[in-house]
Amino acid sequence: MRVALLTLIGLALFPFFFHAIDGYAGLATQIVIVSIASIGFNFLLGYTGLLSYGHAMFYGSGGYVAALMLIRVMPQHPNLWLAVIGGTLAATALALLVGALAVRLYGIYFALLTLAFAQMIFFVVEQSQDWTNGDDGLQNFPTALLPVGPYTIDLGTPLPALALGPFGNLSDIKLWYVFAAVALLGVILGMRALTRSQFGEVLTAIRENEERSSLIGFNAAAYRLAAFAISGALTGLSGALRALYDGTVAVDAVGIDRSGSFVIYTIVGGVQTLFGPVIGTGLIMYLEAVLSAQISYWRLIEGVIFVAVIIFLPAGIVGTLTRKAAERARQRRALLAESLRARTGGPT
Amino acid sequence: MILETKGLGKSFGRFAANADIDFSVAQGELRAVIGPNGAGKTTFFNMLSGTTEATSGTIFFKGNDVTKLSGTRRVHIGIAKAFQTANIYPEQTVRQNCRLAALAHKQGAFALEIVRRSERLADVDTLAERAIEQLELTNVADVRSGDLAHGDKKRLDIAIALATQPEILLLDEPVAGMSRDEARKTEALVRKLASSMTVLIIEHDMDLIMGISDSITVLESGRVLANGTPAEIRANQRVQDAYLGGHSEAEMGA
Amino acid sequence: MVALTQALLNGLVLGLIYVAIAVGLTIVFGTLRLVNFAHGAFYAIGAYIGLVVAQNWGLGPALLAAPIGVALFAVLLDRVLLRPFYGKDVTSQILVTFGIALIVEETLRLIFGATTQQYPALAGLATSVSLGPFVYPAYRLLFAAGVIVMLVLVWLFMEKTDYGLIVRAGVRDRTMVQLLGGNIRQASTIVFALGAAIAGLVGAAASPIYSIAPGTGFAFLVPSFVVVVVGGLGSFWGAVLGGLLIGELQSLTTLAFAPAANVIIYLCMALVLLLRPQGLLGESEVIRQ
Repeated sequence: MRVALLTLIGLALFPFFFHAIDGYAGLATQIVIVSIASIGFNFLLGYTGLLSYGHAMFYGSGGYVAALMLIRVMPQHPNLWLAVIGGTLAATALALLVGALAVRLYGIYFALLTLAFAQMIFFVVEQSQDWTNGDDGLQNFPTALLPVGPYTIDLGTPLPALALGPFGNLSDIKLWYVFAAVALLGVILGMRALTRSQFGEVLTAIRENEERSSLIGFNAAAYRLAAFAISGALTGLSGALRALYDGTVAVDAVGIDRSGSFVIYTIVGGVQTLFGPVIGTGLIMYLEAVLSAQISYWRLIEGVIFVAVIIFLPAGIVGTLTRKAAERARQRRALLAESLRARTGGPT
Repeated sequence: MILETKGLGKSFGRFAANADIDFSVAQGELRAVIGPNGAGKTTFFNMLSGTTEATSGTIFFKGNDVTKLSGTRRVHIGIAKAFQTANIYPEQTVRQNCRLAALAHKQGAFALEIVRRSERLADVDTLAERAIEQLELTNVADVRSGDLAHGDKKRLDIAIALATQPEILLLDEPVAGMSRDEARKTEALVRKLASSMTVLIIEHDMDLIMGISDSITVLESGRVLANGTPAEIRANQRVQDAYLGGHSEAEMGA
Repeated sequence: MVALTQALLNGLVLGLIYVAIAVGLTIVFGTLRLVNFAHGAFYAIGAYIGLVVAQNWGLGPALLAAPIGVALFAVLLDRVLLRPFYGKDVTSQILVTFGIALIVEETLRLIFGATTQQYPALAGLATSVSLGPFVYPAYRLLFAAGVIVMLVLVWLFMEKTDYGLIVRAGVRDRTMVQLLGGNIRQASTIVFALGAAIAGLVGAAASPIYSIAPGTGFAFLVPSFVVVVVGGLGSFWGAVLGGLLIGELQSLTTLAFAPAANVIIYLCMALVLLLRPQGLLGESEVIRQ
């Protein structure tokens, strides 16, 4: 419950923070959408222990398939639900295919195989002019509409106008943000349930000691494949939403830089934490947007932050804060117990 | 015969760790497998548990050919192993360790339970508790297993294997590194276990073996040297030669 | 026929670049158990040092300055950042070296700009040699010969010297070598610097052919990983065989069906990982379940 409330409040306040620093309202939506992919990536790295260097293949395929569905399958009745579901399913299918081959490999070989597949898909996408329009990518596709009961909503519609002083106006925010925020909330709550579920419990055991897990009867490869598919699905969902929001999707969505970005967001935010990927995505994407306008070497700063986090804060920002908080709580409890004993004259 | 092997062998390139092993053990037996260092005992156990793939021969469990079966599947049909070096989940408590094994037994090799929690499975806790009691780990049940003393870790490893409800338990040097007293205590626990299942033990401790085994198999250079009761093995000259270079029977702990 | 021979020669040149980078990668992995995603950075740094030196003093001094400069950088990296990561879990290594690669690439972009740079015209070497029915740039042939000589020297170092012996033994059993008194610390640093220097030298030597941009290092690194996988992680001859194979494959595919040229090398890597994960000449470690 606390998690849901916290997330809700955070998401509600989030876009206004941007207006205070001179209006990057669209960025807020993008951050929320990409966070879903980061959570997916973190599920694989943090809870399963697998480093994938090709996650952009899921992000990109989700985006391209969603866009293609709008362009080729339903240009007259662009249905957002179907486009998103289509993109997510495509990414999941890809994850199952690649995963079936990759999960039997360890460490560096797994990372390299995912990289290999991602690169293959990158070059295929780049070359398939007819389908993907090569380097230019797909643009100007019909705006997806969201049928909800008797209504059809255009997510580009802004919220009703309501002046909010220094934080601008409520109408600065489009319905897209609300939609994306609800999606992120769902993903966060779902991920929380997943990690505490029976499936998550076994996954943690496999990550902690795979040999023992196999020899008490857990099929480690099957679990890794399932985790890979879930991870790919979330990343594909994110890619589909992003493509539909941006109204455009290009090869950089399947590129090696995109794969690298998920790694950076997650590590900086905190691997193995629930909110880490979200915070990391927000922080880095924000810096990218703000700094890139002012400094030409912002990617260098990004790299330095990344390396600094790995060396000094290996648990990431959220992970380190969580650890510090837990430490302080433990100390407080110990002190409390100590003072109670002193007062009641009990055994020390 | 609950477990049988015919011509079982394992070669690494030109080096044969095991060869031509014909082995059989009846249900409920406590069989010790002994032999000098390098005799191939652990490799033999690894083939039985599925950790290592045999290069020749067959393994029969309850009459079925299980030679090609993976280690994971063998646990589910009833063959469980405790490791030579205690192989546990160091970050989790003793109870959590055993619960995981019980969970594996209950849910099978894979279950896509991505929402429901394992706490709802009542049997899992019961099975775990039973394993903890049988190995007398109750007083450390909530201790982080990585913090346990060596002897407790070894007993935990056995408890984990036990929690999977095996019909055959393979113990690879269960008292290695334990103090005399601990070894005695563990020996008694193992003997009690053997009353309800088949147990195979690799051991070097002669007193232990002679005291608790129903029968003994002696391996040397990867092959079976002798089979028999403790008394028979003690009297066997070839066994004495292999182990001790022909020393007297008194030195074998009669 | 002419086109085919040219493609074969181009493949040889490209392949030798891959071999040089892969050899560095593979011996560093074999000895330090370090997966170095920053290895491409060594190539790039060497190329840019070479560029600056060549612009002022010519190619010869450039080929000397590049490997020395890169080796020093590698030693610095080893001492300051990477020590705690040797032998650590692969994920941490990949992450930190990836971060370093990013920093190096962006620093180079900051200093030299994002555009591709050409090396100054090669006085006297810009000619083409007549090989039967066609001509082929002389420099490329010289380059190929040079890399082969360098590889032979590296091989001799590994096989014939004490350091090489310690390094090769360390591939098998690091602890034992330390127990036996071998100064594996020193040997490791030397090997790391050597691997880096090779990449740096090739970076400078190959740039007259391929030009240099900040991303070139990483662009050569990724196929080099393909080479290492195909040849076998830790195997010198595997890197040689794999590099030539991949280089030729890429070159010939460019001739036959250009769009597939990049895809095919990754397909190759995927096949090797699935059918024979230890690579053509690699040792069968525990790689898969």
